[in-house]
Amino acid sequence: MIEFKNVSLIYPNSEQTVIENLSFKLTEGEFVLVIGETGIGKSSILRLMNGLVPHHTGGILSGEIEVAGRSTRLLRPGELSDVIGVVPQNPINGFVCEVVEDEIAFTLETLGVPLEVMRKRVEEVLDLLALAPLRHREISTLSGGEQQRVAIAAALVTQPKVLLLDEPTSALDPIAAEEVLSILHRLVHDLGLTIIIAEHRLERVIQFVDRILLIKGSADVQLGSTRDILAKSHIAPPLVELAKVAGMKEIPLTVREFRRSELEVPPMRRSAPKLSDETVIEVESLTCAYSDGVAEYALRNISLQIKSGEIIALMGRNGAGKSTLLKSLVGLSPIKSGQVRVLGGDPSRFNSRELISSVGYVPQEPGDLLIESTVQEECKRADIDNGCDEGKTLSIFTSLVGNVPVSIHPRDLSEGQKLTLALSILLSAHPRVIVLDEPTRGLDYEAKRKLVKILKEIASNDRTVLLATHDVELVAELSDRVLFIADGELISDGPVEEALTASPAFAPQVAKALPNRGLLTVSDVKSVLE
Amino acid sequence: MIKYLSNLLFALVNILGIALFTWPLFFDINRFGLAELSQATWLASFFGVIAIAILVLQINAHLLDSKTVAIVAVLVGLISALRLLGAGAVGIEPMWFLLILAARALGSQLGFVVAILSILVSALITGGIGPWLPFQVLAAGWIAIGVGLIPKRISFQMERVVLMIYGVFAAFLFGLLMDLQLWPWLLGSDTQLSYLPGAAVTENLSRFLTFHIATALSWDLPRALITATLIFLTARPVLGAFKRAKSRLDAVATWRTVNERAKEQRAV
Repeated sequence: MIEFKNVSLIYPNSEQTVIENLSFKLTEGEFVLVIGETGIGKSSILRLMNGLVPHHTGGILSGEIEVAGRSTRLLRPGELSDVIGVVPQNPINGFVCEVVEDEIAFTLETLGVPLEVMRKRVEEVLDLLALAPLRHREISTLSGGEQQRVAIAAALVTQPKVLLLDEPTSALDPIAAEEVLSILHRLVHDLGLTIIIAEHRLERVIQFVDRILLIKGSADVQLGSTRDILAKSHIAPPLVELAKVAGMKEIPLTVREFRRSELEVPPMRRSAPKLSDETVIEVESLTCAYSDGVAEYALRNISLQIKSGEIIALMGRNGAGKSTLLKSLVGLSPIKSGQVRVLGGDPSRFNSRELISSVGYVPQEPGDLLIESTVQEECKRADIDNGCDEGKTLSIFTSLVGNVPVSIHPRDLSEGQKLTLALSILLSAHPRVIVLDEPTRGLDYEAKRKLVKILKEIASNDRTVLLATHDVELVAELSDRVLFIADGELISDGPVEEALTASPAFAPQVAKALPNRGLLTVSDVKSVLE
Repeated sequence: MIKYLSNLLFALVNILGIALFTWPLFFDINRFGLAELSQATWLASFFGVIAIAILVLQINAHLLDSKTVAIVAVLVGLISALRLLGAGAVGIEPMWFLLILAARALGSQLGFVVAILSILVSALITGGIGPWLPFQVLAAGWIAIGVGLIPKRISFQMERVVLMIYGVFAAFLFGLLMDLQLWPWLLGSDTQLSYLPGAAVTENLSRFLTFHIATALSWDLPRALITATLIFLTARPVLGAFKRAKSRLDAVATWRTVNERAKEQRAV
């Protein structure tokens, strides 16, 4: 279905080869996962398949790429739209219409498909993705999982043979992610669709995929069955790590397979973390609107206290009010009643210098914070703004993501690298409270490990970390306390082991594989086995 | 072939435009029976059509692609919005700086198209449609073309200064051109500064310049100051963003065979 023959790629204004002499062949009806470190070229490989690279981006390409027997060299991306459908990384940025039905019909309209055919096709995909009840809804009012389904429907409406998805679950809560992946699984099995997805959260996808394309470097790419690749890959989900720690011969791909091994593991006793007495954040019966002049409430009557040195995870469905709560800590949310105190003061009245030294905030779109024209200038500016030693921001950045050419434009960084850069800028200011909104979108396991290490170090220096995330594995590794928000209300507030084992949907893989033992992470298991 | 056609159209529009501005100096307007200049309104839509024709021809010639059209559309939207901000106030017209910076980054021809379309679009929004419209359209187009005369390879500091000077020049040029189209109809026939139908070119020209200098400064000076100031303040980020966009537009896809690639590598 898709064949790469000796493909090499160089982007314009760059001397680095992204891909060197890559050859592989994917057959019809396969579900293939592309994995690799942040910024190594996963998106490039996907976009090579539908011709966006190099037709749209420019660059030098050698070798041949064929999709369903057609060469991407001869056809422009639009001319491949009947064989290949694409779901971009942030579907919300790609929507052109307001209403679900219109959005799905849009591609057909631009292709000039006759009206009767169009109606039939739209009906078909609405059924296929169970979107019929939502057909007249406005897209902006849908949840993240529903939006993702609309994007998939819009890609499928031309009846392509291949579907490409770039990190389809990274912005979704675990339940919505499950929903999207099981639909993809069904499409492969029912329609014989070939699906290629790039994803960092392997724990969510490996049970569904047939083969993995592992990218280790520009010239080092391996394609193999899920089990073979995971057995030797440096990128592996917690379940595989766990099997390696337990010394299992066969790598398990599902929790069920692991449980069959009947591994004996003793339970773990956790000591309650020592907390300082100093209260850093105090929220008192806070009620917020989405924005000024909107009657609907994003948050209702929330009260909580956060002490110095705590690492707190804020969880809940898409649209539950997590971001609004985080923004209220930097004085960005329209408060209707109640109050927020950070270090004893009202953050909306801090001047910029007070704000920089007390709260650092990375929003969901970290690219919005980057304003200079090169990474180096961005870091230099941060050094000056934050009043720290020259080169500090850059050194934090390189310690997190390794060597990135510092002369490139911040907007040319990968999603994960952008986030890391924004985080480095914030960390160099050394604020007392660090607030992160979805900090692991687009980050690979290695980058996540480094992030966890840095955040733990920061918290041990009497600083507080508060993050909103859907990544249960991250929460298990990092936080001491978890807050659950549903529909704008705080529904639970407790230590991490209680919160993550209460519902199977929010349980990390280790807790599912070894239940009722208080174990959450691979390092927990290591510590009890020793 | 199509490329020549689009260049030809481009030249035609401009020659026609010059004639449109200056013919009262050379001819006796009463002879043409055009004393009511409202007939000129239709010319505005004519120029709009031509601008779009140029754009379409260029797309067909593969000089432009969907990315360029998108950028033109965004710029037209932004400049129109800026024009609304300044509508009515004395000479406070914040649109010129953006037009000049855009033309600098994208080149004269695209700048011309952006200028024409933004004046037309903003006129539609503000209801500023009248006999002055074709003249505004052309004047803005010329200002954009003129940016192309600035040398390409100069340092950023130099570039900024030159663009600021050009901004001042453009502000005065716009005032001059607008007066030139207005003046024959404005004063009636009985003042010392009035247009004299059928008089010698030099006579009319000197009358016009006196009129312009006497009346225009209160509009042109704020316009010049604001344009130059905005260029000074925004040149670095805005021009940077445009040039980056331009480099994306210019990025070409090239294909090599595997053998060629191997040869290149051996050469390295």
